[in-house]
Amino acid sequence: MGTRPPITNRVKLHRMLAGGITQADLGEAVGVTRHTIIAIEQGHYSPSLETAFRIARLFNAGVEDLFGWEG
Amino acid sequence: MPFTDISFREKSAWAMGALFLAITAFYLVDLQPISWREGVAPPVDRHFIKIMIATIVGSILIQSWLASHNPREADTPADERERLVLARAGNLSGIVLGFGCVAALMNYLVHPNGDLLFHGILLSLLVSTIAESALQIFFFHRGA
Repeated sequence: MGTRPPITNRVKLHRMLAGGITQADLGEAVGVTRHTIIAIEQGHYSPSLETAFRIARLFNAGVEDLFGWEG
Repeated sequence: MPFTDISFREKSAWAMGALFLAITAFYLVDLQPISWREGVAPPVDRHFIKIMIATIVGSILIQSWLASHNPREADTPADERERLVLARAGNLSGIVLGFGCVAALMNYLVHPNGDLLFHGILLSLLVSTIAESALQIFFFHRGA
C-alpha cells in the first residue's frame, strides 16, 4: 500500500465514451463507492478481479481493454 | 480536498481520531495533579469512569451525527477497498497495542508497580485507537 500498483487503466476514457457516466453511477453499478472509482482511475488502487469484470461488462469491453500491465 | 468530499468512513476516521486524541489528552491532564502529589497516580475509579463515559457518549454522538448527515453512505456496507483499508489499519494498530502492552509488562518486571502497569496498558489502548484512525486516513488517501 502506498506504492502505485503497476496496473494501468482506461476506466475514465470508457466512462467518457459511454456518454459521460459519472463516477458515482459507475460505482453504484459495480458495487463500490465513488471514492473507490476515483482511486482506480488515479491508479492508487487495483480493483479485485470481480470488480474489474463488472466494470468491463458494463462497458461491453474486455478486461484487457480496460486494464493493462505497466511496462 | 474539502471535508464534504471525503467518504463516510474517512469522515468517521477523522472524527474518532479527534475524539480519542481529546480523551487521551483529557486523561493525562486529569491525572497530572495526582501524579505530582503522589508519584504514579493510582487508577482512580472516578478518572477511569470519566474516560469510559466520554468514549461511549462521544462515539455515539459522533456516529449518530455522521449517519444523520450521510444516511445513504451510512447504510451501505464497506466496499472492497474500504474493507482492505480497515483491515490493514486494524492490523497495524494491533501491533501498536501489542508493543505498548509488552513495553508496560517489561517495565513491570523492572518496576513492579501495578498502577504504572494499568496506565501503560490503558494508554497503549488509547494510542493504538488513535493510530488506527490515523492509518485509515493515510490509506484512504494513498490508496489500498
